[in-house]
Amino acid sequence: MSYFTDADARKIISTTYEKAQASTAVAAMLYAPEELSALPPGAVALALGVNHPVRHAALLRGERVLDIGCGAGIDTLLAARAVGSHGRVVGLDMTPAMLDRARGHIAEAGADNIELREGLMEALPFPDESFDVIVSNGVLNLSTRKSRALAEMLRVLRPGGRVALGDLVLTDTLPEAIMKDPTALAV
Amino acid sequence: MFRRKLFNVGFEAVATVDRRPFSIADLARYPLFPPEFLDFVRRVLPVERDQNVVHTVVVTGRRPL
Repeated sequence: MSYFTDADARKIISTTYEKAQASTAVAAMLYAPEELSALPPGAVALALGVNHPVRHAALLRGERVLDIGCGAGIDTLLAARAVGSHGRVVGLDMTPAMLDRARGHIAEAGADNIELREGLMEALPFPDESFDVIVSNGVLNLSTRKSRALAEMLRVLRPGGRVALGDLVLTDTLPEAIMKDPTALAV
Repeated sequence: MFRRKLFNVGFEAVATVDRRPFSIADLARYPLFPPEFLDFVRRVLPVERDQNVVHTVVVTGRRPL
């Protein structure tokens, strides 16, 4: 059950993430120290995912990867390193402020195989069969139309293409008082 | 439910490849939640769920050939 309209949810989520303060606590929980030491500090400090889908994506050199909800770019940068100069990574996010931050981190890293796009996961701005792999990290739960978002992922993957999606799942119902709180949308 | 959604839209070979509990302390690491929200969650949730509020997972899948 969704307690918020699509438009309200997107506004709450954008505002929440735009105001997020830098902290390395999340990255330290999710990523290996040797991964983090090779990344721009700003990308590490704005890591807001919930797992490490790139680790489980089995990326190969030369693959085309889409990072849905790329935020400040930590997974985008890790994926770009994995696929190498003959691969390509597209980072998609609906929040212009986060894309601006990602742009700076990508430039700082000197990664030339990354493109950033603004857009919605429920209406991916790409032709059919554009990617070999899709990753996302704590993003699908932010959608009020998860099945639509998943159908779009299927569409833009090539036949045989893969997804590795990190997210949070409930083990039991949460009290309605928590589910109705706008802050909970960011989880 | 997450895996079921992937199957329902047409993914195959759907699997949960990582699954771990997230505690309130883990949620507190995120600069997204003000202290008063976390205090609210602690008050509303039974104490036995403090260490297991939600689970973090990675689910993989494949588009059929």
